Amino acid sequence: MNLDAHDAMLDDVAVYALGAMAPADARRVREHLATCADCRAEYAALRPAAGAVAYSAEACESGQNGPHVSALLKPRIMREIRASVAPAVAQRARPGFVWPAYLVAAACIAIALISTIANISVGGQLKTAQSELEASRLAAGQSARALDADRTTIADLTSADAKRYPVPNGAVVARGGKIYLAMHDMPAPPKGKVYQAWTLPKGSKTMAPSVTFVPDPRGVAVFALPQDARATAAVAISVEPDGGSKAPTTKPVAVAALD
Amino acid sequence: MALVRARDADAFEALYDGYHRLVYGVALRILGDVPAAEDITQGVFLKLWSSPDLYRSGNFPAWLARVARNRALDVLRGKAYRSVSELPEAVPEDDSLEDVAFAHLDAAKVRDALAQLPPEQRDPIEQGFFGGITHDEIARRSGIPLGTVKTRIRSGLRKLRDALDGAVTV
Repeated sequence: MNLDAHDAMLDDVAVYALGAMAPADARRVREHLATCADCRAEYAALRPAAGAVAYSAEACESGQNGPHVSALLKPRIMREIRASVAPAVAQRARPGFVWPAYLVAAACIAIALISTIANISVGGQLKTAQSELEASRLAAGQSARALDADRTTIADLTSADAKRYPVPNGAVVARGGKIYLAMHDMPAPPKGKVYQAWTLPKGSKTMAPSVTFVPDPRGVAVFALPQDARATAAVAISVEPDGGSKAPTTKPVAVAALD
Repeated sequence: MALVRARDADAFEALYDGYHRLVYGVALRILGDVPAAEDITQGVFLKLWSSPDLYRSGNFPAWLARVARNRALDVLRGKAYRSVSELPEAVPEDDSLEDVAFAHLDAAKVRDALAQLPPEQRDPIEQGFFGGITHDEIARRSGIPLGTVKTRIRSGLRKLRDALDGAVTV
């Protein structure tokens, strides 16, 4: 392979690392990686960066302004998780034969003693320490992320080239490919309801569901939508059941047509 | 993950608390549809619980994000879910290539680093990652020569890596 061809292959390796290749092309690059140390080094250098792109989409912390995960999702998942654990425990508790009472009592005392010593002295303390450490790490990371996200949002919203589209109680702001909702004095949604943003893709006649949100106690909600402003013809907001809807179920409280 | 493999529901809950926003965010960005993103999130975590050994080693959040991306792209393309064990075409199973320093990336820093890229580099990277389209399609839609698209993706990823090298929050 000559130098030009190899340089082109390095470009292919980057596209491959991003995961933006058709299967046949990806197969060709994979086969080449098996034989070329330079391209393997390039792949090793670029793959983490390509993977990091995912983090840019991470949803907001609960309670922050911005797209967040419905509070109903976790209970739904954990219900299934705990239900899957319960039958296994119950099954283990069923003895294959009936033990005499004195053996049961002796076994219980022995198991309790062993479990207590093991769990409290080692496992319990370790687990508690690990949990506290993890909680501290997550809390510190969350605070730093919130601060940085706020700074980015403020910079975009105050940028001279940002386009503002007024709507009741706020504005839709577009800058580059980003779309922001900057809302104020919004009434709290009724119990069991949330606000949901909608976007109208260019060339489409159907509103697509975007994020759900709840304004803070002052009625303020400022955040970015995940959709690309350059591909969006309009943005709307409606009141929907918690968890969001696939299509608007109420009349929009705000509509903005983008340029 | 060792505790999750041992069927510890509390450990699983901690895992969910730590990473559900990443999984949901990736799915939402790709699909732009709240209920569908929630379905993906639920499916990924339930699969992780039922088959924890599918994750072998390496950068756990990066692996989880790849699984979420694959599932969301499958939905986007109208395909049935691929098996969670099927790694994406672009990611070989060699975990030695995984950069563990990127295990605790800060989302805001990644957004900032992406924002610093010139649009001609950022756009094809985002379209390729979240749009579920190939580089050929990116070139066709943008009217930019294929070779130029590939070079811009490579240049952008190199800049992104350089920017993120100092952005790790361990």
